[in-house]
This record gives sequence, structure tokens and C-alpha cells, in this order.
Amino acid sequence: MARRKQSKGEKLETNMSAMIDIVFQLLIFFMITLQISEPEGDFNINMPANGQPTSSDEIPPFPDIKVKLQANPDGTLAGLFFGQRNLGIGPAAFEQLNIEILKVIGRPGDPITKDMAVEIDADYNLHFSNVINAVGACTGRVDKRSGNIVKYIEKIKFKPPTPQAAAG
Amino acid sequence: MAKRERPSGSPDAEVDMTPMIDIVFQLIAFFAVITNFEETQADERVKLPRDTLAKPPEVKVEHQLVLNVGFYRDMKGEKTDTQPWLFNFVNGEPVLPLSAGAQLKKESVLFKNKGIDPAKVTVKVRADAEVQTGIVQELIKLCQNSGFETFAMSAMSGPDE
Repeated sequence: MARRKQSKGEKLETNMSAMIDIVFQLLIFFMITLQISEPEGDFNINMPANGQPTSSDEIPPFPDIKVKLQANPDGTLAGLFFGQRNLGIGPAAFEQLNIEILKVIGRPGDPITKDMAVEIDADYNLHFSNVINAVGACTGRVDKRSGNIVKYIEKIKFKPPTPQAAAG
Repeated sequence: MAKRERPSGSPDAEVDMTPMIDIVFQLIAFFAVITNFEETQADERVKLPRDTLAKPPEVKVEHQLVLNVGFYRDMKGEKTDTQPWLFNFVNGEPVLPLSAGAQLKKESVLFKNKGIDPAKVTVKVRADAEVQTGIVQELIKLCQNSGFETFAMSAMSGPDE
């Protein structure tokens, strides 16, 4: 391409002020509309309306794994039960639950885990965060090396709240 | 201060704007990329529970109904009332979670009118960490009575508290 020759002493100038005005307006707009929010994740749970997905002629191959969460009157966790065993409270209890679930399924990703289900029985007034932690402990764990999720049991059921607990 | 005199015959003093414009464009590009223009139905009053396993979904959910269950909180994030509310649901007004049945039925009919089966709609339950589990369960039951079957419980990604 031929280069245009500039005549001596003259300099071509564009008026940049209009563009800078617009660019600053855009910058301010984007800065104001920016919402900083933490990443949010979901636990997917399939719950058909009738509650009992298994009919009388269809016997589940494995009984549901029972996890019970008892609450103190203020809604905090009083005890986490795996079957009849009390695993205690706090993060250690949920870690123990995770280990127990792994013992039951044997090997993560085994096709038989598709037929297994965990039934969570939580007290009416229990803080919801405990339920989420229990669901998390049953669903799997994060592999420390790769950071990927190792899935344990994906079928989670909830026991309907008992009327007595609801009244209290 | 004495005004500096411009030497006669020299060209006008000019500021080189190029680096500034470069930087400003970089900033605009950055903000434009990270800005999320999607209308989020999340309510900031809901303090979600935390769990390490809560990872953002890789596939976007096609149809969803968001239920924000939380408390009124003050500037410090402390609860001002022990009554949980369903925020941003009926015309943006908060309602009691257990009296949302009629509205959920309406939502179900709206989905049906659009040709979407409510059973295929994911009900995203954004419940506060301190909401009573029984209330969340009863709200889910109301959803089930309206024909919704798929639920997703939201939590922040991160180590448990």
C-alpha cells in the first residue's frame, strides 16, 4: 500500500474528546452495574409428588440408608445418626458420615450406587444448613488431588416432617 | 504562580492520550466480559448455607422457578425477625412460605400455558442456612402438589462453616 505523504508542517489530528467522554461513560456504567457474588451451587433432588416411587410389585434392591438429624430447641444440631449410630455434631460428624457412606457403597461410581438411596430424617426446627451438609456428605466428596467431585449416592429422599415435631 | 509563557512560534502543547485510551479500553473490555446481564432472581437477604460439594452447574437449567426463603436482616446481617419469608415471589412482595400454595399453582398453570410440563421445571430452593428444615420441606410439598418434581437446593461453594 502506498504510504500517504504528509505535507510539511501539517499534522492530522482527530478530536478525541467525544470518544473519551463516551468511553468514560461506558466505564462508569460497567463499574456501577457490576455485582460481585460468590459462586453458587445446587444439589439436584428428584421428588415426585406421590413420594413413593416404588410400587408394591417393585421391591427396591437395597434398603434406604437412614440418616437422622436431631435438633436442639434453638435449631442447632444435637446429633447426627447413621442408622442407630450417633456420629456426634460439627464438621467431624459430617466427615464421619461421608466415610460411613463410602463403606456402604464400597467403590465410588459402582453401578449399584444408582439403586441406593439415602433417606434423611431431619427434625422440623433444625437449621437448614445441617441438611445441606448431610446431603453433601452423602452425595460425595471433593478429590483433594484433582479437585473433581467423586460421587457416592445421588438419590436423596426426605422423610416427611413428623406432626409431633411440627407442633413442637 | 507566574504563568509560563509559551515560546512563540512553537506548536501547541499536547498530551499524548494513547496510553490512557488503551488502559480505559482494557478496563471496559474487562467489565463488559465479567458483567452478567442475565436477570438473576436471587435475593441478597438469603444467607445460603455452605458446602464444599456445591459446585456451579455445568449445564444451564432450561426452565426454573426460584424460591428465596430467608429472614429480614439488618445491616450487620443479623436476623431482625424469626419469621422466615418467601422473598421476590408474588409481585416482588414477601409472602409466608406456607401460604404460597395458590401462587405455586398459578406458576404451574403459567408453565403449562407455555407448553412446559411443570415436572420438567427445576424448582431452585434458595433457603437461608437458618431456616427451619420443616418449613423447606413443607414448601417442597406445596410445590409437589402443584406438579413440580425436580428440585435443586442452593448452597455457596466453599468449606463448611
